[in-house]
Amino acid sequence: MLLIESDGKRLLQAHGIPVPASSLVIGQEDVAKLAAAHPSTPKIVKAQVPVGGRGKAGGVLRAESSAEAAAAATAMLGRHIKGHTVRACLIEEPIAGSEHYLALLVDAGSGGIRLLYSDAGGIDIEQAATTSGHMFDRLVRPDRNAFDAAISELEQTLDPTSASAIAACARQLGALFFDKELLLAEINPLFLRPNGQIVAGDAKIVIDLNAIERHDDLKSMLSGHRDWYPDAWRKIQEQFDFIELDAQGTIGLVTTGAGLSMMLLDELTEKGARPFNFCDVRTGQMRGDPSRLLAIFRWLKEAPNVRMVLINIFAGITDLAEFARTLVLALSQMPGWNPPIVARLIGNNEELAMEILRTQAPQIRFETDLEKAISLSTSMAQEANHA
Amino acid sequence: MLELLDSNTPVLIQGISGRMGRLHTGLMRQYGTNIVAGVSMRGQDGDVDGIPVYPSCSAAQQHRPFASVVMVPPLRVMQAVEDAIDAGIRLIVTVAEGIPVHDALRIRQMTADAGVSWIGPSTPGLCIPGKMKLGFLPDVSIAPGPLGVMSKSGTLSYEVCYRLSQAGVGQSAWVGVGGDPVKGTRFSDMAPELTALSATRALLLIGEVGGDEEEEFAHSLQARGSDIPVYALIAGKQAKEGVSMGHAGALVMGGKGSIVSKHEALKKAGVEVHQTMHELVAAIAGRLGTGPTAHT
Repeated sequence: MLLIESDGKRLLQAHGIPVPASSLVIGQEDVAKLAAAHPSTPKIVKAQVPVGGRGKAGGVLRAESSAEAAAAATAMLGRHIKGHTVRACLIEEPIAGSEHYLALLVDAGSGGIRLLYSDAGGIDIEQAATTSGHMFDRLVRPDRNAFDAAISELEQTLDPTSASAIAACARQLGALFFDKELLLAEINPLFLRPNGQIVAGDAKIVIDLNAIERHDDLKSMLSGHRDWYPDAWRKIQEQFDFIELDAQGTIGLVTTGAGLSMMLLDELTEKGARPFNFCDVRTGQMRGDPSRLLAIFRWLKEAPNVRMVLINIFAGITDLAEFARTLVLALSQMPGWNPPIVARLIGNNEELAMEILRTQAPQIRFETDLEKAISLSTSMAQEANHA
Repeated sequence: MLELLDSNTPVLIQGISGRMGRLHTGLMRQYGTNIVAGVSMRGQDGDVDGIPVYPSCSAAQQHRPFASVVMVPPLRVMQAVEDAIDAGIRLIVTVAEGIPVHDALRIRQMTADAGVSWIGPSTPGLCIPGKMKLGFLPDVSIAPGPLGVMSKSGTLSYEVCYRLSQAGVGQSAWVGVGGDPVKGTRFSDMAPELTALSATRALLLIGEVGGDEEEEFAHSLQARGSDIPVYALIAGKQAKEGVSMGHAGALVMGGKGSIVSKHEALKKAGVEVHQTMHELVAAIAGRLGTGPTAHT
């Protein structure tokens, strides 16, 4: 998952890579403080959301005064950019200098690590790299020695006046990349100031949640900003995936399997429905314990517009009868919450599951055909909306 | 490698004494897989349901296992793969979800250096219908037939293959390549193998947003050409940017890994791309399911 820029920059700084002087604006108090500080100096106001192309989406603005910066931050806070709510803005001092590009990434196709550098950094880096052809691009084996050799090679191609500063930065970025088992560490732009110093203008750091248990510092970083990383934090706490997609969504999903859950979202949306969430509950790990279902039900209950719940479980191995009993148990612990529910259960022991739901939770509409369950849910959500 | 697999292929299970290992060993045997030995990393020996258990793959070498199914927790997979490679195993299937990507990089390097085939991580495994399966693809969705299936997702392939087998179209082979970004076998590696099977008369790719595996497959297909129809279904049009959608590999950033990029590349390569499961199943069943061209 992609870290918020300010967290990414904290990691860079901790590994010796300088970043611009900055402050973080979270609430109105911070905005007031900002407006009062150094009134005449220009500032860059950046929405802290984990997406690419923030600048083009209006998430990065230059302000000529503190008052202007405060106004820009006020306008950005609470906005939605590509499905993410802006919960903070980073206010930075503009940096003068040439713009470069430096990145290290896991190259999934080859199973190696790529080191990329260009002296034509900035928002159109991909285009600049292809048109000018000036991109240092080395694919190496995934170990530190091979990576160090690539940096030495890079250093020899650079202008002697800046070579050592850029190579040193690449070494620091490499140490961060391997120490924290990152998937991507990208700095764009990487400023080279007239005095020869480098400063990271941005930080795009993708961490590996699969490795989080080996990195307490990253875990506490996420823990410190649970509202910035609600989806990741939920995954760490609950050991399954639940991702809010549309805060105003009307259909709550209880599903298992990432691919089928994504496809279901696509098909519901295609039919004009508004699913609230993505979910991969991993029924195989539940073993009769209702706590995962209860967690989901509580989140759906808190959602302002969820009108109905669609459950979809394709059970290759999981015993659906056990799932049905667990579902009944979870619902019995949610008094006062009675949304219409469609349960599409198919596979191992489905007849017994149907019987359990019919006798113990007759309010649930049982379906074996997914197409029918989708149509039914879509119309139920719309009816409830008009009611 | 797929053409070498049948009900005689000797298979070893690493992590056989765990809950998962024991359950799926039974189910695989029931399907017809020839399981010859198990390894317990707890150093346990004796047997599990009559299958001899050893402390390491090397200790089980007398059974000459060709393939291993690794059923240990994600953080122990790398060590298990090392053990399997040392014992000369030729095909390793790792089902665990949640293997750190840097571990996967090392596993990939080790298996590539040793010339060993690796399927996974985060996969339900593979199946040669009617002969054997490695992993836990559900029997209800498996049927022998003409379709070579490869999928990033387990559940989406269960659903699609279930509907297809109901419509009379089974599989020549079905391989879960897995939902992680760094893996042992990618779509473009698997496609020629599936195509080479004599029973295969069409290919089905079930992809997901994130990464560039579908695009890579499209480019290799375009270069190679195909004598048989290729179908595709890609999940994740509604994926949220910057967040992994359940699978570590399903991560969209900027335009990279988007569904648009995948659809365009596949269509350009002549692949029949469908938007919904229903359309896909209807199209494939229309061509392969019934009528004079039906495979028997």
